[in-house]
Amino acid sequence: MTTTMLTLSHVSKTYHQPDGDITVLADVNLHLPAGKTAALLGESGSGKRTLLHLVAGLVKPDSGTIDIAGQRVTDFSESQWNTLRCQTLSLVFQQYHLVPTLSVLDNILLQARLAGRVDASLQQRLVDALGLGALLKRLPFQLSGGQQQRVAIARALMHQPRLILADEPTGNLDEATGQDVMRLFVELVQMTGSSLLMVTHSREMASYMDCRWQLHHGVISNVAALDTVDTGDTGSVTNHEG
Amino acid sequence: MKAETPRQFIWVLLTLLSHYRRHPGQALAMIVGLVTGVALWAAVQLINDHARASYAEADQLLGAEASAWIRAHDDSGVAPADYIELRRAGFSTVYPVIDVRLRSSSGSFITLVATDLLALPLLAGGGSTMANPFAAASWLPMIQPPYQAWYPSALARQLDIAPGQQLQLANGQALPPALIQTQAQQGQRIFMDVGAAMAVLQRRQFSYLAVGHLPPAEQQRLAASLPPHLQLVPNHQAIDLAQLTASLHTNLTAMGLLSFAVGLFIVFNAVRFSLLARQGSLTTLREMGVSTGLLGLAIVAESLLWALLGTGLGLLSGFLLSQQLLPAVATSMQSLFGASLGATVSLQPVQVLVAFSLTLAGVGLALAMPLWQRARTSIRHSRSAPAQWQQEHAGVKRMAAVALVLLLVAGLIYPQIDSVVAGFVVLGLVMFGGALLLPLLVQLSIAAVATLLPQRHWLLRWSVSDAVAQLPHLRIALMALLLTLTANIGVTTLVGSFRAALGDWLQTRLSANVYVQSNTLDLAALGQAQWLAYAAERFGSSQRWQDRPTTVRGLDVAAPDAQALLLAQGNPADLALWRQGDGEPQAILANEQVHFLGNQLLGSLVELQTATGLQTFKLVGFVHDYGNANFQFYLPNETLLKLWPQARREGVALWLQGDTQEQATAALLQAGAKPGEWLLQDEIKRVSFAIFDRTFAITAALNTLTLLVAGLALLAALLAVHQQRLPEYSHWRAMGVGFRQWFLIVALPLLLMIVVTLVLAVPLGLILSWLLIHDLNVIAFGWTMPLRWTWVPVWQLSGLTLVIVFATLAVAVLRVRQTLPDALKQLAGNEG
Repeated sequence: MTTTMLTLSHVSKTYHQPDGDITVLADVNLHLPAGKTAALLGESGSGKRTLLHLVAGLVKPDSGTIDIAGQRVTDFSESQWNTLRCQTLSLVFQQYHLVPTLSVLDNILLQARLAGRVDASLQQRLVDALGLGALLKRLPFQLSGGQQQRVAIARALMHQPRLILADEPTGNLDEATGQDVMRLFVELVQMTGSSLLMVTHSREMASYMDCRWQLHHGVISNVAALDTVDTGDTGSVTNHEG
Repeated sequence: MKAETPRQFIWVLLTLLSHYRRHPGQALAMIVGLVTGVALWAAVQLINDHARASYAEADQLLGAEASAWIRAHDDSGVAPADYIELRRAGFSTVYPVIDVRLRSSSGSFITLVATDLLALPLLAGGGSTMANPFAAASWLPMIQPPYQAWYPSALARQLDIAPGQQLQLANGQALPPALIQTQAQQGQRIFMDVGAAMAVLQRRQFSYLAVGHLPPAEQQRLAASLPPHLQLVPNHQAIDLAQLTASLHTNLTAMGLLSFAVGLFIVFNAVRFSLLARQGSLTTLREMGVSTGLLGLAIVAESLLWALLGTGLGLLSGFLLSQQLLPAVATSMQSLFGASLGATVSLQPVQVLVAFSLTLAGVGLALAMPLWQRARTSIRHSRSAPAQWQQEHAGVKRMAAVALVLLLVAGLIYPQIDSVVAGFVVLGLVMFGGALLLPLLVQLSIAAVATLLPQRHWLLRWSVSDAVAQLPHLRIALMALLLTLTANIGVTTLVGSFRAALGDWLQTRLSANVYVQSNTLDLAALGQAQWLAYAAERFGSSQRWQDRPTTVRGLDVAAPDAQALLLAQGNPADLALWRQGDGEPQAILANEQVHFLGNQLLGSLVELQTATGLQTFKLVGFVHDYGNANFQFYLPNETLLKLWPQARREGVALWLQGDTQEQATAALLQAGAKPGEWLLQDEIKRVSFAIFDRTFAITAALNTLTLLVAGLALLAALLAVHQQRLPEYSHWRAMGVGFRQWFLIVALPLLLMIVVTLVLAVPLGLILSWLLIHDLNVIAFGWTMPLRWTWVPVWQLSGLTLVIVFATLAVAVLRVRQTLPDALKQLAGNEG
């Protein structure tokens, strides 16, 4: 029996602008089982980043509920969100967001240290797997983009989160490097048993995931038509639009 | 605090501090700002506290208290026989003092104080800062020929005297061999045994007798035992000095606080840059679940570390700086107020505590605003440039609103200024109001220039628009620069106006060619010599009026200087009345200090103690009397001698016929005057200006140091801006912008901002000098002078500022040239 890591129920979000309201997400439902990976595909302005921000607690939904690892987070206070981010979530960004003044090793260990969860063997496995052994004493600006993203991935996994939220993690990399990083990322996520929700516009990168969802003008759909996905075992989406 | 918080706190703090390992320049800017601010403030504070402690001991000499003095009515000195008589009568706390001003052969004026070491009634316990200085040291060499003269080390350096060397005096005498040894309450004075001083200086009388602590009944018995020509005068020196010098110390404190404020601006700047550079890291930490509270706590801890470091190093530097400045201040205090300042300053625990509290408050203040902004920004928006730009824009408007409030408050308080502190509050409000208004004025100037530029000058338009990008980073440094420029222009105008007024005043006041002060001169012997145009005697009598030291001076009304007497206030008819010694009540003149500090007006009636009791006088005029800390009244000689028959003879002024100086000095020698007992007009002027320049030396030093601090702030800010904008410059370069164009785009807005700052500094500096000259100076010292504006400091400061700006641009050019290839590689996404 599989447990659910992430559930969104009837989640909607509208931004109020001077020139009219923009509905970014409309009655979205999805669930991601624990230990599975999912890609959220969509064009620019489709609402995929807003969905990721809702799950990360950076934005509050107008309606609907969000559950992460069995906790209803929709009405979480800032303090509860801080605890959740520290203990359960990890974020990986297109711009890497490494601390520029810390060495590669310190960057990798930073979130694990904050959570009090430093595992030396995991550290070694991640460093070896991502090929960072020779770079540990360097500073981020001394690394290439691909190397920096590998450090960001190592940092996210080192923390042993239950859910990783990734925002276009290979968007800044060339195709070959992107493929390489993504392959490693997914392998390591599976190795650590975390769940992964990744936002991307690349179907190629999405193909590494267990399931793929498509967002179009705030409406989510399964993309099983595009690829064969067993949503019953992995994840599912539904929309309840009038 | 949750269980995981201490661990998180440590890692967050370490992450924050790792910034300075990468950016040692910002760490340096923080340290420079803190250290210079604290050092300048601490140096002034240490000198002030030290001076006040010295005044508190002014009624003591080498650990012996003098609660009263026994002086001759005409201040001609006390004979040893009178002293011996009093000791025999059982007054064992009476001791003799010689306190004379001498002139060395090189023309320096020095004060020598001598007493009977064995007669000193040394204070028991903690009354004095010193124990008996003669218990351990052998005092025999002091009282046996060739004797010893004790010099404080600073004075020995100033006079270039080595141990064992004898100081030659202008009258041909030589002081005993020098011993470099500093005692408490000695100040910048030479100390000798009284017997030795009498022998060496060929004196037959003591200056006065000092009286140690006596019960009231004994004091009455002492007063009754005095011969008629002597009087018992209470010693108010400690209170008088504290009162007379209060304004000067307030001025110094204000300058110290200004330096501290400028230092804080640098810290503010450095904090801003460090937080800006770490904004990404702060957001990353928040994304990792670190709460705003914990981040705030870590930033507070970081500021605590900075405050500790800044206070420690600042106090150390301030201590060293105060040691350097003290001799100049001590000599000025001696010249102006007769105050003796100890030779070395000491750091008290309370000063350390105050410095740390001020620094912590300052760093806290510098951190409060950015922290508040950071806390209010959501994680999602904290990486958004437009949101930050909006915050900056709102910040400029807020600052301008605060500025208007400050200026309004200053305008409301101005008519009610009645104390030095209130004056400085108005001054501070105007200066900080002006500084806070600056960013808006720069913004408006940029907008105005932008509208004037034609569309086709795209490069110029780009350049002007770049000012908008630079302003948020530079505004604090510009504000610090404005404050410093304003203070510099204001204080330079004050000092220049004062110097010019003093020069004009000396020209009329010191119109005689030779001034003689001799007890042995027989004036009648000069007779009607061919070389002599006029000889005028001067007399004086001291008393206390409004509980301050006061002199009533007698002038020869027929003398050229009294004939040319210019009144600051009064009318010629009343002056004629005064010259005739008429008036009902008797007409009297007074210095401006009586008007401004004694609150007397023309026509006011004043009561003075004469030999026959209290007498009422009518004030008919006020005269300028620059540099005098005491009240002074003026009467014709005849009137003075009628009312105060025992008035002391204060010297003779001689006006010569043509170039007859040599004849005059030869005649003076023949008439009984000794070499060194007369001064030529030029010498007095030179000495007066030397005292003036030394008095303002500390002002000039603080001014220069503050300007350097502001220059460093600008330098640090510009370097940080260029460092931060390096990727942007790379983009421009990639688009084909050449170095010459880049320089134009970056340098022109900078020049525009500097010009606006300089333009605003001129009226603010003028307002500052106006307040200093017409309000603060009058309230503090009691004299007026005209404001003399000169553009020289403005041009000098403009030149200096431009040098700093171009120096930073040159550094930026070099850095851009060095780092551009790497930046371009990153731009191209090189995966190498």
